[in-house]
Parts: sequence; structure tokens; C-alpha cells
Amino acid sequence: MAKSRRVSQHSSRIGRYLLLACWAFFCLLPIVWLVTLSLRGRTETMVNPPIYWPHFTLEAWRDTFENWPMWAYLRNTFVAAIGSVLIDLLLAIPAAYSLARFQYRGRDQIGFYILSTRMIVPAAVALPIYILFKNLHLLDNPVALMLIYAAINLSIVTWVIRSYMIEVPREIEEAARVDGARSIGILLRVTLPLSISGVVTASILALIFAVNEFLFTLLISYTDSAQTLSVGLAMFTGGSKGIIYNDIAVVALVTFVPMFILTLLIQRHLSRGLTMGALKN
Amino acid sequence: MSSVPVSTAAVQPARAALRRRGHDPRWLPYALVAPAVAYLLGITLYPFIYALYKSFYQSSFTMPGMDTFVGFGNYTDLFRNGDFLASVLNTLIISGSSVLAEFVLALGLAALVYRDPWVKGWRMMFLAPMLFMPSAVSFMWKLLFVPGASVVNNLMESTGFLPQALNWVGNPTLARLSLVVADVWEWTPFLFLIFVGALQAQNSDLEEAAKVDGARNWQVFWQVSLPLLRPIIAIALVLRSIDAVTMFTKVYVMTQGAPAGDTETVSYFIYRVGFNQFDAGTAAAASVLVLIVTIAVAQYAVSRYFRPAME
Repeated sequence: MAKSRRVSQHSSRIGRYLLLACWAFFCLLPIVWLVTLSLRGRTETMVNPPIYWPHFTLEAWRDTFENWPMWAYLRNTFVAAIGSVLIDLLLAIPAAYSLARFQYRGRDQIGFYILSTRMIVPAAVALPIYILFKNLHLLDNPVALMLIYAAINLSIVTWVIRSYMIEVPREIEEAARVDGARSIGILLRVTLPLSISGVVTASILALIFAVNEFLFTLLISYTDSAQTLSVGLAMFTGGSKGIIYNDIAVVALVTFVPMFILTLLIQRHLSRGLTMGALKN
Repeated sequence: MSSVPVSTAAVQPARAALRRRGHDPRWLPYALVAPAVAYLLGITLYPFIYALYKSFYQSSFTMPGMDTFVGFGNYTDLFRNGDFLASVLNTLIISGSSVLAEFVLALGLAALVYRDPWVKGWRMMFLAPMLFMPSAVSFMWKLLFVPGASVVNNLMESTGFLPQALNWVGNPTLARLSLVVADVWEWTPFLFLIFVGALQAQNSDLEEAAKVDGARNWQVFWQVSLPLLRPIIAIALVLRSIDAVTMFTKVYVMTQGAPAGDTETVSYFIYRVGFNQFDAGTAAAASVLVLIVTIAVAQYAVSRYFRPAME
């Protein structure tokens, strides 16, 4: 009995790894393809049958940075995404503190209103927002993107930070209060430093979502004075074969690396951040 | 069900703390939260009112100031011209199949790894697709399905899986499937990460007890771990479904609604009508309908799933 159970456990482990290997294959194969795509000439990107082992060349890596306004795209991405995270923190930290630490009428309604904006359909608000920025003369301006990204991410940033603030022991705050500190002072000197991992998690997630944003960026920016990498790579076309896939692969890999590093930094907090704080570790 | 019982014992110290907080003005919490709320009203309330107003006019981007009042004309047009309803149906088919497949895969994978000694490694590996820029991912899948040079076709033919090349671009079902495959590749990690996190956060004592009682691994997962996971599964599915329903980037890059509008999602419909055909009135009417549904769904999801988990 015991022996047969051990045997079945052994075979179930093999089956388990087999299933995981299948998914790993599906998951990683396109990434490997992307890497080889970035290391081949353009004539080898779209042929029948597909070429899996190309003539390796760094041509695409050079072309991408020489033929396209990559530095402008990088600058715009950087300015708009970092700026949006700063706006989010400025608005979300006080809001999260208010939701986490005060009892007042309407608090839950306000909090869940903020949360529900995470569920807005971007395309459904695109037209009014486009016209708003048109009237403000902010079209094709990274500032407009910054404001949009901040709005998109504000709900998640607020709720993630709130979920960490609510776990700061009240006794520590009360001790500071006895020493005569007021709420704002306690927020800045006690609560905020103690919920710093929430602030970092929220900032990194907001940064990634901002860099990835496509729809509003497509509508609001149309030259390299505002276009970001996300939309800029859709402009990589030319010649008889249209889309220049190997250059797009380069951009995909160039942006993947910092995203991966940032995610590694918060990997323990990732599931909590993605559920807006609903899942505690 | 949605309200959490609060014991009076827990409330009393909180009240006392509140009284001691005498030196904070009563308006302070409102002042702290007001800027965020005002900012968010700018992307929710303002667009809704503006779209509602525009939806009653024949209006074009190319001729500003030439709006003419048409009453509910734009709305009746939406239902008379089949494109909008078709886009609703496409959205349900495409996002429904994507989320269903992602859910089954993510739950299965999470169940397979969460007690594995190399769980961290699996997590980082399976996470990778989510970290590529969505527009780049869309171009990559467009190329993998491209007619005449499709890697997907080539792999399936050479492994004997299929006798001939499939037309991923011209066949409506296959075109939809190509969007689903790309979405599953990109977003299964989202659900997977949440499920693994939730399973790891669970107290393993119950599982151990069940195993001592002779339950098999899959029985333990199915009957002990999974039921405890239901609240977080619901939240993860709500978030993923919303993002899937709003699918735009993939459609814009991979199919542009082809063939014959069979892959046109609601988001892409609004974009095409409003920004390609400059018919702001019709796009506004569609936006209003989508927003009304969104508000209703968000209200329900928040009170049913988020409130109990987060209060």
C-alpha cells in the first residue's frame, strides 16, 4: 500500500513537470523567436518556410537606433511615465491615508468610487478626453500623456498604498500622537516610512502600465515630440514589405529588460499589487 | 453577505482614538482625499457628460461648430446599422474565450507549482510574457500568424498536427482565435501570479490535516484549498475580464477588425467611427452605452467582490 502510493506520487511528479514543461515551451518559444528576430536581417523576417536559425547580424539593433527617433521616444516615455507616477503619489498618499486612518461619513463610498475607476473602458472616454486636450492645446505634448497615465493608474496606486498603510500598527501612530504630532506629521514621519513597500510596489506597477499604454498615446500624440516607444514602434514601416519586424523586436527586448528588473524588485508584492491590495501576503 | 459584522468591542477603542484626535479639524480627511477624487471625476464624470451631450448631435471632427441636434438619432442608428451590435458580440466571443482559457490554465498551473520547491523560478519564467510592451506583443503575434510565412502554421505542419496551412487572417473563426491565442499568451500570467500568491498565503495546516486523513493531492486542492480561494479568484477574474473586454491594441495591430468586421471589438468600433470616420456623434452614443454598462458592472463587482475582501 505504502509502496504503491510512493510509486504513484513519483509518477505524478513526472506528469506534473511534463505539464509545466509544455506551458514553459508555449511561454518561452515566442520570446526565443523574438530574440532571433532581432538578430537577423530584414530579408529573413518574413519568408516561407520561416527561418529558425538566421544569419546572425546586429543590423537591426543598429538600424533601430539610427533610422528611428528612438532617443525622442525614450525621452517622451521617460518624461510621461515618471511624471505620471509622481502625480499619482502626490494625490494617492494623502488619499490613501485618509481612507486608511480616518472614520468619516462617506468614506467607503469615496474609497470604492476611486476603486471603481479602475474598471472604466478607455475607448469609451477617449473621445471626450481627446477633445479636452485639444481645447487645452495639449495635443502631441508629453504633458497630456503624463496627465492621462496618472488618471489611469490613480485608483490602483491609492488602493495598494492604503492596503499597506492599514497594516501599520496603530500603537506606533498613537505614540507619536502623544508626543504632540498632528496627523500630517504622523503621515510623513511614521505611516509613510512604514508603508514604503506599498509605495514602491504601487509606483513600479503604475510605471509599467504607463509605459505600456497604447490607445490614448496613439490618439493624443502624433509626432516624435510626444510619441512614446509603445506607439513609436507601430511607425516602423517602409519598403515593399511594410512592417519592419526585426526593429520592433529590438524595441520589445530593450523595454523588457528594465521591466523585468523592476518586477524582480517587487516580486513578493506582485500578487498583492495586481489585486489592488485585496490579497494580503 | 456583503457586509462584514463589526463587533462593538472593536469599535470602542477606535471611537476613543477618534476623540483623542481632537486637534485634527473635522474637514481634514475630506481635504486629504479631495484632490484624488477631483482628478478622477475628470476622467469619469466629465467624459460621461460630454459624451452624453455629443450623442444627441450630428457632429464631426472635421467641421467643428457645425453640430446639428438629432435627438436619439445616433442611438437608433447604432441599433439599425448592425456594426455596433456585431462588435458587442465579437467582444463577448473573443474576451469570453480568452478569459475562460486563461482562467483554466492559470488555475491549473498555479495548482501544479505552489508547493513546488522551485516555485519562485516557475513564477519568474511564466511571468515574462506580461512584461513585454503590449503593442510589441501584438506585432510579434501578427508575424507569427502572417499568411505565407506563419511560424504557427509551419510548426503545426512539420509536427504533423495539421495537413495544410490555416488562413489565420481570412477565416473569421481563425482570426478571432489568433487574438485569443495572443491574449492567452500575454495575460495567463496575470491570473497565474494572483492564484499562486493566494495559494501560498494560505495556511497549509488544513491541507496537511486532509492529507493525514488520506486525501490525495488533487482532492486536497479541489476540496480544501480551492473553496478558500473563491473571493480572490472572483476579484482576479473581474479585473482580467474588464481588461479583456476593453481589448484594443491587439485588434488595432493584428486584424484592424478584418475579415469583414468579424474581429472588431467595441473599443475598436468607437475608435474607427470616431477617429477614422470622424463621426463624433455616433461614437459618443456608443461611448454612452458602454459607460452605462461599465458603471453598472463596476457597481455590482465592487459591492459583491471587492467590498467584502477589502473593508
